[in-house]
Amino acid sequence: MKKFIQKIEPYLWILPSVLLMLIFILVPIIFVFRMALSKVSRAGLIKGFTGLTNFSKILSTPTFSMVLKNTLVWTVAVVGLSTLLGFILALLLNNAFKGRKIARAIVVFPWATTLVVQASIWKFIIDTDYGTLNTLLMKLGIIDHAVNWTPSAGAWFAWEIACGIFVTIPFVTFTVLSGLQSIDGSYYEAATVDGANYWQKLFKITIPLVKSSLTVSTVLNIIYVFNSFPIIWNMTKGDPGNRTDTLVTYLYKLAFYNGKQGEAAAVSVIGFLILLVCATGYMVVTLRKGDE
Amino acid sequence: MKKKSLKRVLALSLSMAAAISLAACGSTPTNTNTKDEPETQQEEAGNDEAESKDDSGSKTEISVIAAQYGQNTADWWKTFESDFEKDNAGIDLNVEVISWNDISTKVNALISNGNAPDILNIDVFADYQADDLLLPAKDYVSEETYGKMYEAFLEQSNVDGTIWAIPDLASARAMYYNKDILEEAGAEVPTTWDELKETCKKIKEKFPDVYPWGVDMTTDEGQAAFAYYIWNNGGDFTDADGNWTLNSPENVAAIEYVISLIKEGYTNTDPANETRYDLQDMFGTGKVAMMIAPNSLPTYVADGGNEVNYGMAPIPNNNGTSVSAGVMDRFMCFDNEYSDEELEAIKTFFDYFFEDERYSAWVEMEGFLPATKTGGEALAAKDESLAQWIDIVASCKFYPTAKTEWADVKQGVINVEQNALLDGNVQELLDSLQGEIAP
Repeated sequence: MKKFIQKIEPYLWILPSVLLMLIFILVPIIFVFRMALSKVSRAGLIKGFTGLTNFSKILSTPTFSMVLKNTLVWTVAVVGLSTLLGFILALLLNNAFKGRKIARAIVVFPWATTLVVQASIWKFIIDTDYGTLNTLLMKLGIIDHAVNWTPSAGAWFAWEIACGIFVTIPFVTFTVLSGLQSIDGSYYEAATVDGANYWQKLFKITIPLVKSSLTVSTVLNIIYVFNSFPIIWNMTKGDPGNRTDTLVTYLYKLAFYNGKQGEAAAVSVIGFLILLVCATGYMVVTLRKGDE
Repeated sequence: MKKKSLKRVLALSLSMAAAISLAACGSTPTNTNTKDEPETQQEEAGNDEAESKDDSGSKTEISVIAAQYGQNTADWWKTFESDFEKDNAGIDLNVEVISWNDISTKVNALISNGNAPDILNIDVFADYQADDLLLPAKDYVSEETYGKMYEAFLEQSNVDGTIWAIPDLASARAMYYNKDILEEAGAEVPTTWDELKETCKKIKEKFPDVYPWGVDMTTDEGQAAFAYYIWNNGGDFTDADGNWTLNSPENVAAIEYVISLIKEGYTNTDPANETRYDLQDMFGTGKVAMMIAPNSLPTYVADGGNEVNYGMAPIPNNNGTSVSAGVMDRFMCFDNEYSDEELEAIKTFFDYFFEDERYSAWVEMEGFLPATKTGGEALAAKDESLAQWIDIVASCKFYPTAKTEWADVKQGVINVEQNALLDGNVQELLDSLQGEIAP
């Protein structure tokens, strides 16, 4: 009897988590799949199975391919650049210098602020008429007329990406920093004795040893950034003409502005599948390489 | 042993943390608008829900879901509820006030679980009607109360000859202008489109930093801009038979006209991203000289701590008659298979709500315009500045919200405007929208 209890004990301990995951993750996913395959009235009533009609409707619009392209640009740019910059920042913060603790605390700030607030502040800074950026540059005498920082949809999208990078860097920095701190100093000593220069140490010791931390932060960031809603919604709502929409803002508009919940669910399923493939693919490739 | 129990505590707190972080997943969009207008969304403001009561026993229960128009909506309904129950001992009324951000989602969730409220106060009704969920208005509103409503307002809820919802309040638009700027620029108040361009030109010459004309083509309310220009060029969303006429020559010319104002530099720089609220802020500080806005603009400007010497005039037009755009919200009654007693209780509710004094107080508190003739007369007698608006609202045009395609048309025309801003061809864009909506 005691043995039996011992055997099932671990499962009992993880049971609450498993139940929570089932209720809050699996059930909604099943509902979304069901909705994507059904005809849904605008009032939200499911009116029968329609197979892949919602998917074919979505895929046949030119908007969808534009939005998909935006999503890829958004995810790659934000995750790629914030990983690079975050990694560099982590290397800097790993050095011993005066005020290091304060510097580390400051890096957390953008992360600790709500995305909605961040996006609103960025929008306020770059505003043509009242923006602090124009005011500052005019006070400094660098410009004499207010500059329109967002003359095109592309400019808006670039600012959104910049904001995305700004808020993502802290997460990368701290993940990498924790990896860096776990590296034994004797490796570097040995390398120095063998006459390795800075770059050799970086590529032969540091990067291989923080690789697992980097993988974790990249996979999580791909998921977060791909699904990120507040920055784009608060800055442009995907306007003008869907030019700054990503899949998430697009499906939100489909569901709650156009009342096409079935099609919105189909977009959601497509996004989910893309993410599943990308995230697992990335993890398998990087971690397998590490094993070899 | 000690170590083991420590592990257990750790495991337990970890699983709790997992639960909390799961619950915290997901973010809600926020909207920083203030509600001064039916049919736009509004920020949540400490949502006070009316508590349900258990003493219903043999009482007839009515459930109401009401939209939160402003800070005082919830309190007003609370008082209404207790007054109503005091005066109608046999009825147990439950009013739940919900913010504009959540109301449709909540109602849709209730409907799909088979728990539709008895009475709903919201902007649109056609989607519920299309699913056969509503009762005809005459079934649940007494003849006397029904007779109080403006005919034109009731007509907005007409599907196949039956009126399905009744108006609760309305709002209308007019042109506001900054008297000082126009005077100093030596410009006249424009009444036609040619005059409008002329006035813009004069203002631009005198004040290069001022935007003469405000335009909002955002996802928030771009459909309003579309309506202002097509209606004032003799165009419309539909013809007299209710067929969509989105790509009519009048509509194309109207949108080309407003795009030309933007391209010639007479407007704010980013109409696809600057909402009416942004424009109202700029109007308040004298950055925008003229704009089309609802009757609440003066209050909005004053609340922002600004002072403008403003005037109000009909929206400039291109065909001799100025048309104002009206917006209204509604009450509707879900078909929950009522007994005669329950239907009587619902009628009593509407009689009580639309009782002239109570109703005008409510409309005034929310800062809107009344949807009943008697309410209009009462308010006009009380406030002269409102009298002018009550004339406008009684004669304005409305969006075709009774048609189920409206949600698509609304997003579609906004998309057309924004693509026209990106140098798209208006004729082609409207042709393709017309093809999508009415193939």
